[in-house]
Amino acid sequence: MYISAIKEHGPAAPVGPLSPLYLGAMHYDAIVIGGGHNGLTCAAYLAKAGKKTLVLERRHVLGGAAVTEEIFPGFKFSVCSYVVSLLRPEIIRDLDLPSHGLELLPLDGTLTPMESGDYLWRVNDHSKTRREIARHSQKDADAYDHYGMAMVEMGRFAKPILSMTPPDPMSLDPRGLLELLSIGKRFRNMRHHDKVNQVQLLTMSAVDFLDQWFETDALKATMSASGIIGTFLGVRSPGTAYVLLHHYMGEIDGAFRSWGLSRGGTGAVSNAIAGAALRFGAEIRTETPVAKILTRAGRATGVVLENGDEILADVVVSSVDPRLTFERFMEPKELPDDFLEAVRRYKYRGSSGKVNLALDALPDFTCLPGRGEHLRGAISISPSVDYMERAYDQAKHGAFSSRPYIDMVIPTLTDSSLAPPGKHVMSCFVQYAPYHLKAGDVWDDARREAFGDAVIDAIAVHAPNIRTIIRHRQVLTPLDIERDYGLSEGNIFQGELSLEQLFFLRPVPGWAQYATPVHKLYMCGSATHPGGGIMGAPGQNAAARVLKDFRK
Amino acid sequence: MSAPHVIIGGGVNGLVCATLLARAGRAVTLVERRPEVGGAAVTRELTPGFFVPAGAHSVGPLRADVARDLRLGEHGLAFVTSDAWLTALDGQGRAVTLWHDVARAATSLGAHSAKDAAAWPAFMQARTKLGRVVASVFGHTPPSVDAPSTPELWRLFHTARAFRALGRADGYRLLRWGPMPVADLVAEHVETPVVQAALAADGVLGSLLGPWSAGSGLLFLLHAANDMAGNAAATWPRGGPGALATALRRAAEQAGVTILTGTGVAEILTGNAAKAVGVRLGDGRTLDAAMVVSGIDPKSTFAMCDPMALPAEFRWRAANYRTRGVLAKVNLALSGLPVVPGADREQLATRLRMAPDVDAMERAFDHAKYGRYSPTPWLEAVIPTLVDPTLAPAGAHVMSIYAQYAPLVLREGSWDTERQGLLRAVLDTLDRYMPGVRSLIVEAEVMTPADLEREWGMAGGHIHHGELALDQLFTMRPLLGWSQYRTPIDGVWLCSAGTHPGLGLTGGSGANAAREILRG
Repeated sequence: MYISAIKEHGPAAPVGPLSPLYLGAMHYDAIVIGGGHNGLTCAAYLAKAGKKTLVLERRHVLGGAAVTEEIFPGFKFSVCSYVVSLLRPEIIRDLDLPSHGLELLPLDGTLTPMESGDYLWRVNDHSKTRREIARHSQKDADAYDHYGMAMVEMGRFAKPILSMTPPDPMSLDPRGLLELLSIGKRFRNMRHHDKVNQVQLLTMSAVDFLDQWFETDALKATMSASGIIGTFLGVRSPGTAYVLLHHYMGEIDGAFRSWGLSRGGTGAVSNAIAGAALRFGAEIRTETPVAKILTRAGRATGVVLENGDEILADVVVSSVDPRLTFERFMEPKELPDDFLEAVRRYKYRGSSGKVNLALDALPDFTCLPGRGEHLRGAISISPSVDYMERAYDQAKHGAFSSRPYIDMVIPTLTDSSLAPPGKHVMSCFVQYAPYHLKAGDVWDDARREAFGDAVIDAIAVHAPNIRTIIRHRQVLTPLDIERDYGLSEGNIFQGELSLEQLFFLRPVPGWAQYATPVHKLYMCGSATHPGGGIMGAPGQNAAARVLKDFRK
Repeated sequence: MSAPHVIIGGGVNGLVCATLLARAGRAVTLVERRPEVGGAAVTRELTPGFFVPAGAHSVGPLRADVARDLRLGEHGLAFVTSDAWLTALDGQGRAVTLWHDVARAATSLGAHSAKDAAAWPAFMQARTKLGRVVASVFGHTPPSVDAPSTPELWRLFHTARAFRALGRADGYRLLRWGPMPVADLVAEHVETPVVQAALAADGVLGSLLGPWSAGSGLLFLLHAANDMAGNAAATWPRGGPGALATALRRAAEQAGVTILTGTGVAEILTGNAAKAVGVRLGDGRTLDAAMVVSGIDPKSTFAMCDPMALPAEFRWRAANYRTRGVLAKVNLALSGLPVVPGADREQLATRLRMAPDVDAMERAFDHAKYGRYSPTPWLEAVIPTLVDPTLAPAGAHVMSIYAQYAPLVLREGSWDTERQGLLRAVLDTLDRYMPGVRSLIVEAEVMTPADLEREWGMAGGHIHHGELALDQLFTMRPLLGWSQYRTPIDGVWLCSAGTHPGLGLTGGSGANAAREILRG
């Protein structure tokens, strides 16, 4: 088999001296580049279907951005992605993830400390939240019922779209058109006010959308925050309402919009998927960075590793982002010009950073002192819409927010295995930290620490004891995220979730169906529909596409 | 004799609708609150001998079929033309003129960037092609979303065919452009910062959007479509925009429309059955009417209706229709032509857009979000006397300026106290682009969004009668399910720019509404 492979490559292929490993070149049905949760999901499905599958991961640890690492002795962190909400339930079932150690723990509630010294604390218990909101506004409490019902309807409409391969509106393929028509038909069959909500969600800004229902500033600010995560947009920018829904579709054990933690950190999700993939017979190699994707006559034939080894396969599936896949691992001449132009135009613009804290004690919030249930959920530094918007304004003009939006979680309150007894870890997702700084500024060590200080200062406004309880601090800027996790420009979703980069436009118009202009080369990362978050849907959808093509 | 029809508001759309209804044999009375009809199309004598465009400083362009059907040429409407489409000024002696002639524009771009010069023809070709497809739906009534009729489906099919005929590259371009920030859109085609800013302005004019706001690409596309739907040359009426009002009034009167000015409609009268029966005027008189057609914005219209006649959800949705004006208007009478470094007379005879780059526009926008006006606003000025010297004494000039951003509601102070501060900010900014312009000023006036709301009755002072956003367009203008010019009240219709297609003084909404009303 390897002989024919050598013949196939011919003299033009970048073949090194025939190393023993090359001579023993294994041939796989599929190679998956990148061992993040999507790459692993894709590999698991391919292996499950009987394909001989190999996953290649650059780092020493699997998971990509869904990873648990012991950054400081005894303290384990979900370094990047820190909550689980969108993981598709059918993936959990199909891959039997609980048997591979997946255990999801509830993360109940969001506490928002307010500028007035009061707080807003929403929990999953609807009537409790309603009473809490009524403390601030009776009108909002009433609207909260309607809003909740409306969003459930919206989620119901949108959910089937997640697992759909986006149809190509410019193709003549009747099946794609029928699929588009079926979305249209489902839309037509919605009740009138649901239609309005749906259109508004797809087009409005999060704040404009919420303004229609609510008046409490901190409520709107906190809810709209989910609309900006991973985008370079402000809460008042049109198109951010959509992401409200993206996050509302979170689903654990079938219950809508419950968020969760994974026991052992988000890395445990990746490890469970990897366990499933291995059980189905996939092979996984860590510390095996890919250097090139091999092509011959417009067809992918395998990969070359950074150590020069070649590995051949019938198909290559890349779970890394388009910039790495097409600009780093391939030569421009291997790709059509217009495709390459669209790949270059695809927007990343990372806008968020992460601060991971090892704590000697729990933070004490002035608005709600002491230890309590309120610390077990998310704590959101989003006191007002203006606060959120000001944070964005600074980023727009090339600086990190001096008063950023922060979403904090203390997973040790739910999962004590992550820190030594009595100690805690706290995960702070921070926005905005722009990848592109204004001319003359760079993300050096000093700026990283200044950014970390700004985050601590912003927390200290509401929990003054924070400064005294920090044992260790890890600060990740978008540049760090790019370098360490291979996410271009530090975008946590492998490309902005903005309207012109969604559905049949993601990542490249006309190439939203997981295939690429290179025959037998596929994409399966968050840069494909339906996008980022620990969801697994891109990996699952891509595997379905690859398997369909295998059957042809 | 037909049952009486009342048109509320004698703006461009109200006049167009009234005329078309009267010509079809309907008995039409048009009621205008101001002393003159024309709405935002007004030429006013600012100070003796100086005539300024008091409201809009250009028209639509007027839709070609409207101009033809109403025979406005015979009623005295003529246009002056300019070879220049836009001139971009950066305030540092750089003036780049984008000519209507693509090759000539490429040449002027070439002085700053060879890349821009090379990319320009393809960019303009795409703009034209996409604009045509969008324009093809301007003349149609938006289809019903709940139960589209056969002709509606047929028209949709045609639009879909036109869309697909664009081919893959342009088809996807159309899908991408709408939701994009206009700053990204122009940056994909042009690299010279001052030109990026001038082009991006199409995406934010009149809207509470900055060039980096998602969805501003849509407005850019709509302006392109407007240029395709109208006669692009039909932008500058000889005698100022008031000449359009005069021609429309003559056309209306000749068609038999009765025009009442000086008193507005205070209330739309409905019987017990949520059906229009007439209007009560500001002076207490009532007029019977079987049909009441509103040429004023939707929000103000519904405020004139008995709330009980409107369903609760409709009232809620209508209250949330966004009309937050951000545009202020400054009119100047000048003793001479201002000096604009880097620009000759021919380059000045068009829209002058003033911002060094997109970033400066975005900063101007930032203030509006927090209820402040921009200390260095974005400006678009025109000097109509360059092409129409009759508007000022010999050698003297008038200038009309759009200034953004000035929010309707100030968080601190009020427009009564801040109006002069805004004028100062505009003139300080203008002085950077036209050094010494202050010394030429004979007379100046400034109108804030609050003034626009008061004087023209536009809700929120929004020049488009409501934000032109993805969720307030086409089948959703003004509200989803109510885009066919009807309202929940039998006999009450809408024909203003707050309905499809809206956008500028084109007459498109009025003509579409008239067609629907005549169909019954």
